Amino acid sequence: MTEDAEQRNRRLDRAVTDCAEGRPQGIDAILELEGPRLLGLARRILIRHDLAEEALQDAMVMVWRKAAQQRQGDGSSRGWIYAILRNRCLTILRDGARLSSLSPDELTSMQEARQELVSDDDWKLLAGKGRLGECLDALDDPARRAILLAHVAGYSHGEISARQGVPLGTAKSWIRRGLASLRECLS
Amino acid sequence: MNAFRDDVTAFADDYVLGLMSPTETELFEALMAADPALAAHVARLRDQLLPLDLSAEAQALPPGFAARLQAIIARTPQDGAPLPLSGDPTVAPVPANLPRAPRRWLAGLAASLVLGLALGFGGAMQRPAPAPQVVAVLLDDQGQPRAIIEDYGDETAQIRFVSDIEVPPGFAIQAWTLPSVEMGPRSLGVLDGPRAASLAGPDLPAPADAQLYEITLEPAGGSPTGRPTGPIIAKGLAAAQDI
Repeated sequence: MTEDAEQRNRRLDRAVTDCAEGRPQGIDAILELEGPRLLGLARRILIRHDLAEEALQDAMVMVWRKAAQQRQGDGSSRGWIYAILRNRCLTILRDGARLSSLSPDELTSMQEARQELVSDDDWKLLAGKGRLGECLDALDDPARRAILLAHVAGYSHGEISARQGVPLGTAKSWIRRGLASLRECLS
Repeated sequence: MNAFRDDVTAFADDYVLGLMSPTETELFEALMAADPALAAHVARLRDQLLPLDLSAEAQALPPGFAARLQAIIARTPQDGAPLPLSGDPTVAPVPANLPRAPRRWLAGLAASLVLGLALGFGGAMQRPAPAPQVVAVLLDDQGQPRAIIEDYGDETAQIRFVSDIEVPPGFAIQAWTLPSVEMGPRSLGVLDGPRAASLAGPDLPAPADAQLYEITLEPAGGSPTGRPTGPIIAKGLAAAQDI
């Protein structure tokens, strides 16, 4: 890990501790360190600015509420914060009532934009330069695509099976076997 | 590696990838809260996949975002502090509006765990042999497990509490179930405090998978109307145990 990354992790840990102990400046520090990148993640999953901003706001409120429950030793603060935001984005994405105000055209363009995230040519950009990219590269194409559709584009099991034209059980087993191989490669 | 561990690993995978329903997510988080080895396993996978999240193109925050957020936070209580009771008791919950029932296995697992049975993700597992027809884990509006109801389907049910619930003088806890929207909520019994108890409810249809159970705060002696009138303390959907 580079010195910059270590320093950022330490500052994030401190920010989460601030939140856990009831000091709201912890939230400001998280936004300062990660805000634009977090908003970028929300935008990538939800496509629309307004939904992405709502997701980030909800996620930060959740960070504030739950900070005291994030135990030291349970992974990085960064991983925890991003996971909260992803979960919030997925909840919005799968809430039919929440999206019912959008026109069919808007929904279709959201769906298409999400699909394009995981094109067979560009997926390497998603994983960055580290070990994760190498390990993803080593997976079978269908397993890699299924994992990326779920994690990056926010697809459900059902959407993955429909998109890939395979039964639900097949999509699930691709993901299960793919992640098992990935874990082995990364360990 | 045994079959049980494979199952829990698959749940962890689904959780990290975001493939669980909101209800399943809540149950799985309750499991993690009680099992540090499982929480560490999840955190490791989450960190390993984090580069995928970091590759999104950064977007400038809109002006005033941080200030608006601070205004919301200033009126948001943090978990860990005593939870205010909330919920509108006059509106009967409609099952169709609730997230789909969790995979029953996961619900059973969460129930056994909060009941104090060994999970031991890192080691051997003692799988519970359930006698009740359904088990419902009742979560409060913060997603924290508060109580477990095991319904034996023979007009008796067991309730156990997994966290303290403050009952002011002159009030009681009342347990309810919603066998169907047509029947409306039916009382399973009134308790003067959060203590494990046997409930002897009315003669109701056999409990079904995904049937709603809830506990409300009512005047001492129970709801004067026979319907829930006080705030909902916690609610949850039943998981059938015929596995």
